[in-house]
Amino acid sequence: MFENPEVAIDELPGTDDLGWQTLHPLYARRIRVQALIVLGIIVVAISAVNFLPHIPLLPIVVLYVLWSITAMVSLLWPGLSVPRRGYVLRDKDIVFRKGVIWQSVTAVPFNRIQHVETSNTPLDRRFGLATLQLFTAGGSGGDLKIDGLGKDIAERLRVFILDKAGASIENA
Amino acid sequence: MKTPDPGTWRRTSPFAILFFIGRILRLIAKNAWQSLAPLFALLVAYQGDLVSKLTLGGIAFGVVIATASLLSYWFFRYRISDDAILIRQGVIKKKQLDIKFDRIQGISTQQNPVYRALGLVTVNFDTAGSAGNEGNLPAVTRALADSLRARIGKNRIPADGAGSEAGVRAAALLRLDWRDMVRIGLADRRALIVFAVIGPLLERLGDDAERIIANYVERAADGAFQFGMAGGITIIIAVIVSVLLVLALISVGAAFLRFHNFELWLDGSTLRSQGGLLTRHEHSMDLGKIQTLRLQQGIVQRWQRRFRMTARQALASGKQRSGKVFMIPVVTAELADRLRARFLQPEAGRLTQDPRSDQFTAVSPYYMRSRILFIGLLPAVLVTVAFRESFGAAALFVMLWLPLVSAAAYRSWRRAGFAHDDDEIVRRSGLLGYRTVGLLFRKVQRVTVTQSRYQRRKGLASLRMHMASGSVRVPYIEHETAKRLRDYILYKVESSRQAWH
Repeated sequence: MFENPEVAIDELPGTDDLGWQTLHPLYARRIRVQALIVLGIIVVAISAVNFLPHIPLLPIVVLYVLWSITAMVSLLWPGLSVPRRGYVLRDKDIVFRKGVIWQSVTAVPFNRIQHVETSNTPLDRRFGLATLQLFTAGGSGGDLKIDGLGKDIAERLRVFILDKAGASIENA
Repeated sequence: MKTPDPGTWRRTSPFAILFFIGRILRLIAKNAWQSLAPLFALLVAYQGDLVSKLTLGGIAFGVVIATASLLSYWFFRYRISDDAILIRQGVIKKKQLDIKFDRIQGISTQQNPVYRALGLVTVNFDTAGSAGNEGNLPAVTRALADSLRARIGKNRIPADGAGSEAGVRAAALLRLDWRDMVRIGLADRRALIVFAVIGPLLERLGDDAERIIANYVERAADGAFQFGMAGGITIIIAVIVSVLLVLALISVGAAFLRFHNFELWLDGSTLRSQGGLLTRHEHSMDLGKIQTLRLQQGIVQRWQRRFRMTARQALASGKQRSGKVFMIPVVTAELADRLRARFLQPEAGRLTQDPRSDQFTAVSPYYMRSRILFIGLLPAVLVTVAFRESFGAAALFVMLWLPLVSAAAYRSWRRAGFAHDDDEIVRRSGLLGYRTVGLLFRKVQRVTVTQSRYQRRKGLASLRMHMASGSVRVPYIEHETAKRLRDYILYKVESSRQAWH
């Protein structure tokens, strides 16, 4: 039976007062640990250059200063950016927000999802984290990617979304 | 005994050899020329008469190519079964290719002059999810191509009686004549690229011209012959004008080659076009597969009051960068609107894509601010500061960059705009020319609303609609409008029961 009820624009569900789900509490720490590893490698490289003969002092000092600024920013930034990230799972779509300076809210309807992927790096595994990626048609790497989910939550989301996406195909 | 499929294994017309020769030559040009080059060098270096050696080599090469294409032709066989087309090919390495009819998205055909004289065509099959064409049927009869097309049409649109019978074609929606060819040729941007390529050559020519002029001037001084500077400038201008003229001619010639006798028509729910002087190109696109419709107008086209219309299909998965594009090289705004109404009916098509229409809502003027600030002011100040020491006050000339950027920002703000109804949205943009993109809400894949710090303060946002063919952005609109549109798009997508592709 085909139904086509009238819809009042003002009564469409909005996304203003959604209960945003936050990411895993260890996610910020994971980003910092990764940053520390990279920073460590860089500082080793700088000091190695430092020990070479005939290197003027000034560029090395500049490098160290740049390094400490980068270190400060990359260790403090997750404290700002991670709380801003969040997602909401709804009946027909998933909404994801992120950004400190440029804030964005992306919504992906389940009936447009082509496939779903979870992945984790060795570092992720140490913290029990995983990444969920949703692929829609024509996406050029810009598909929705949610980092820093708990491993079990990512898996549950994957199964749930896959189920929803599959159901929408059967109904179509 | 069971009756086999109606089709039996068949060979194509012997003229398919032409196709195979072309294919082998292309293959050599692409892959094997590195290995052939040393052979050629050896031939030249070896003692003996050069001419006879080259003749011999040429004959040998010709024989090899001819044999190879003859064998390719001999081993190329095809069969049309109930639900698929089967192709067997390959001389040493056998290849089997079965293409199911319901996987074929469309058929395009090509006709070179020889084939046209004989009523033959080369058929290419477009299949979903593959990069480029998968299969070719060289040198088959037009009737076979038409019957294949009818078969695929039947598979794609069951119970839709509108699918035309083979050979009977609906009335053309658009026909281009020689005036349109001239328009296409003049508006082609590639002419400029040609100009850039032969630019250095032109410079050489300029040098020569200079020498000639200097000669003249000298002689004029010697023999009290009144020639002077004016004559020299005339020559330079004449050279430039004639070069431009030649370029325009080449460009118009290319347009004739590509689009001569261009015709556009609807075959059931499939859009088709045909055109070309020597090789007839035929293209098709299913109306239901159109993701976005674009109307573009460059500077030259603005003066011509014409547009270029393109319909884009979803990008194939994988590495392929650009999706399939169906192009109508030149239309008027009125015709474009009539066409889009035909393409999108019955669900949409009521909006116009004519950029001059007054239906468009302007975006916020704050749109200009970030451009002027980050593209204009910031670089200008930095460069001025950087060059202050070496150039002094002259560095302030860099500041002239600022009014330029401001003017550009103002123009692109004036051109930015959007219009929508219940089913579709049209976005307008442009700097020198115009571009409008139209799309159906229900075909959106995902939506993003983005706000910068500054936009948050002003209650503005940018809306980006990701389509299967790329994304369309509406910048600097009211945050409330953006959110309302986003929620409405989600509603349209999630309540849609139709396929988006």
